[in-house]
Amino acid sequence: MNQLPILIIILPLLLIPILLLIRKNEQVYLLSIIISFINLILVCLLFYHVQHSGPLFYELGSWKAPIGIRLNADLLSCYFLLLINLMSFICLISGKELINRQIEKENIYLFYIAWLLCNIGFAGIILTNDIFNLFVFLEISSLSSYFLISQGNYKGSMIAAIQYLFIGSIGAVFILLGIGILYVHTGTLNMSDISDNIINAKISLSIIFAIGLFFLGIGIKSAIFPLHGWLIRTYAYSPSVIVAYFSGTSTKIGIYILIRVFLDILNNINPFEYYSLAQLILFLSLVGALLSTIYAIKQTEIKKMFAFSSVAQISYILIAIMILTPEGVAASLIHVFNHSIIKTGLFLIIAILFVNNQNIKLDDLSGLGKNHPFFMSAFVVLSLGLIGLPLTSGFISKWYIIQSLIHSDYWYISIVVLITSFMTLLYMWKIIEKIYFSESVNNNVITILNHQVIGVFVLMALTIYLGLDASFTTSVSGEIATSLLGSEIK
Amino acid sequence: MNSIILHLVFIILGIVILYTLRNIKSLYIVHVLISFLSLLFSINALVTKKFLIQTHIDIIQIIPNLFISFSLDGLGIIFLITSNALWLMTAIYSDKYLELNKYKNKAKFYIFFTLSMFATNAIIYSSNLLTAFIFYEILTISTYPLVTFKGDSDSISNGKKYLYYLLGTSIIFLLPAIIIIYSIAGTLDYEIGGILASYNNPLMIKILIILLIFGVAKSAIMPFHKWLPFAMIAPTPVSALLHAVAVVKSGVFIIIKVVLYIFGPLILQESGANIIIILFASITILLSSIIAIKQDSIKLRLAYSTIGQLSYIVLAIAILAPYSILAATLHLIFHAIGKIILFLTAGIITTGIGIKKVSEMNGLASKFPYTIFLMSLGALIMIGIPPTIGFISKWYLIVGIIESTKIYLLAVIIISTLLNASYYLPMIYKPYFKSFETKYNESNSEDMRLVTPVIIIGLAAIILFFNTDSIIIFIQEYIIKL
Repeated sequence: MNQLPILIIILPLLLIPILLLIRKNEQVYLLSIIISFINLILVCLLFYHVQHSGPLFYELGSWKAPIGIRLNADLLSCYFLLLINLMSFICLISGKELINRQIEKENIYLFYIAWLLCNIGFAGIILTNDIFNLFVFLEISSLSSYFLISQGNYKGSMIAAIQYLFIGSIGAVFILLGIGILYVHTGTLNMSDISDNIINAKISLSIIFAIGLFFLGIGIKSAIFPLHGWLIRTYAYSPSVIVAYFSGTSTKIGIYILIRVFLDILNNINPFEYYSLAQLILFLSLVGALLSTIYAIKQTEIKKMFAFSSVAQISYILIAIMILTPEGVAASLIHVFNHSIIKTGLFLIIAILFVNNQNIKLDDLSGLGKNHPFFMSAFVVLSLGLIGLPLTSGFISKWYIIQSLIHSDYWYISIVVLITSFMTLLYMWKIIEKIYFSESVNNNVITILNHQVIGVFVLMALTIYLGLDASFTTSVSGEIATSLLGSEIK
Repeated sequence: MNSIILHLVFIILGIVILYTLRNIKSLYIVHVLISFLSLLFSINALVTKKFLIQTHIDIIQIIPNLFISFSLDGLGIIFLITSNALWLMTAIYSDKYLELNKYKNKAKFYIFFTLSMFATNAIIYSSNLLTAFIFYEILTISTYPLVTFKGDSDSISNGKKYLYYLLGTSIIFLLPAIIIIYSIAGTLDYEIGGILASYNNPLMIKILIILLIFGVAKSAIMPFHKWLPFAMIAPTPVSALLHAVAVVKSGVFIIIKVVLYIFGPLILQESGANIIIILFASITILLSSIIAIKQDSIKLRLAYSTIGQLSYIVLAIAILAPYSILAATLHLIFHAIGKIILFLTAGIITTGIGIKKVSEMNGLASKFPYTIFLMSLGALIMIGIPPTIGFISKWYLIVGIIESTKIYLLAVIIISTLLNASYYLPMIYKPYFKSFETKYNESNSEDMRLVTPVIIIGLAAIILFFNTDSIIIFIQEYIIKL
């Protein structure tokens, strides 16, 4: 059991050289799927273990903590780890055909390797207890995502990839600088140590500066409004299956780092109180939720519409965190999970329907309801989830976000959240109307394969299940929030 | 298994059967059978007095400590039998109507119709506000395909507005109200006396009441009433059963439940929040009647009449006097019967001869003797003229007003009755006393298969007038002590 955290990182890492030697697309795919599946099982085991016997530490090479590198699997890590690996596995299952059709043949095996590497990076970020290591894993995931994005066969893919690289690097540099300053003041890179030492360190301007740097870096990573520009372009130009994968993982990693750094490592010095940082983020997120929803309504291009929708949803998550109550953090964690599932499902459906079409207009969806009644029903369910109607997981997150807002000092923010959530209906219904009430414009028959359907329907089933019985998300996120902010939740 | 669960599971099963048999020709028989058995389930609940057992049946825990759960009380059983009985009649009516009007895809119609009735029954059975909210949203979504059933651009655009109004208000107003109530009371269960009875914050009570009036837009209280005229684009059976009975009454039903069992009469009176409801309802009664006069389209006139009549019920409940609560319950039944007669007869006329406007109804009595007679009966019920059942509920409403000493409300009732008369009497006068215009095809006349179910409802209306005592005794025993 104690080896689980390192196994989750090291197993795929060991597989990569083997994959590089095999170089055959089919075999590489098969092995990637197998390792993803094994990883998912390991994560589930780890989750079970942590839930029942508390956080698990793993000292790399048995070097004790401040000197050696330590992996720390607590409930927060496991929660995100489960999400990331689940999304990766489902996207790999449904994505095989899409990758074959979209990526150049000689690059496909490299594509899978980059995918695994990216996932290793994510897992490392989540598991490490060493803040410099976090930066290293961040770079690993960024570099591999750069490769993944650049493989899109659209005109703008390369530019999007370079932009992602540049902006991602700038974000990473901010984080690195922040880490440096923290190191100077606390003399350690171990997260638990920093957390202990920082109480004794004098809160100087430079620590506040470090807080600012962290926020900027994380803000870029998690596409916090107004730092969301890269996200729109990335979602528009990446290979379609990668968009599905990233929509459920990459921004959520940003949220994870935000929670880890601000609410765990720096929690002892209340980082959000400096220069009213919390209020500033609240304000930005409010504007972000409103503006990006309006942009989404105006969009006629599906991928961009969903990208703006993602920015709005991330704003909800941030709003819930920034009221800084255990309830709010729990609500945001619930929404992280639910939104990932819903948005990945939606992007996956779009990807399956239009693999090689970068510029998917609203009109392209005409008549799909008649041609694929069964498949499109998943789209409707996921849309209802995004709107947040009852019996879907979206309703649960909305309920908790509104409830936490009403209980906090910022009850009036709930008005904006409610109105923007109604506006979600406006743009999603535009799509549903197109699907069901317009005659098909082109006669291209889209073939939908069984394994693709499985992935989408698993996500749909999860959306409904988590809407009917939310005990998993609510209890886990409640526990995490209590352990972070320390007081009981009503 | 519990009879409530059995009933709901049966309807779901019915939907599955409708879906599997969607290609057979006589699908309507299946639909009629489902509605008939559903009525039997309701009557069974009444006869066996199952509603006396106030136990909640918890189905699933959606949010920690909040369940989807069902129970049945006296008010529920009244609405249950009304809506299921009228469903059966509408089901019989639908087949011929769809055939004569050349609608395609009858299977889709029956499936979503049954789904809507499932949601309605579930709202009636729900024992807490969350359950009611969930099925309220399902009802909106499942009526959407019926509103847009024609599939032309008009019905799509109307359907969109319908959806935006109903979902929008429920998301923006109703949901936060429910969450606030849950935060205050720690529960959402309907309880006699109200779960907020001991909550002493008049301002908050008032805010919640406003949120609820706006949020339950299905009750069509102004300013969020516009969805109902939009919904009139649907085929007549939909307008008749759903948008005069099931959907709108579900909204009113939730408001009654909230007033009696969430807030409780006491706290509403103390905080003066019931005045807010009275105000909104009175304005709606008067304005909708004025707008109805201006409508020449039969269906739109009926729709605005519905808006006003619904507010009668809401007004009656907000007065909070025992007799007015009696009036609200009676009017819930009587308006349903009267309005469905009006809609179904209007459908017969439109199907038979293509007339959709009141001004074109001249001399129709000669061609549609049964239809026009029934329509007149419906109109008289709406105005509240004896010997029709509409008179009885209006009578008790007036008794309730006098009992509560809010005498000024009599003015609202009198004015609105005059307005009602002024827009309903032409619908009686023109067909009987003006001569038929020859530009319409004379060979068309009423189809008896359409008329028969309406005759049955009409007979029921007349029988009910002479048997109101039994209903009043029932209400007295199980809903409100007079």
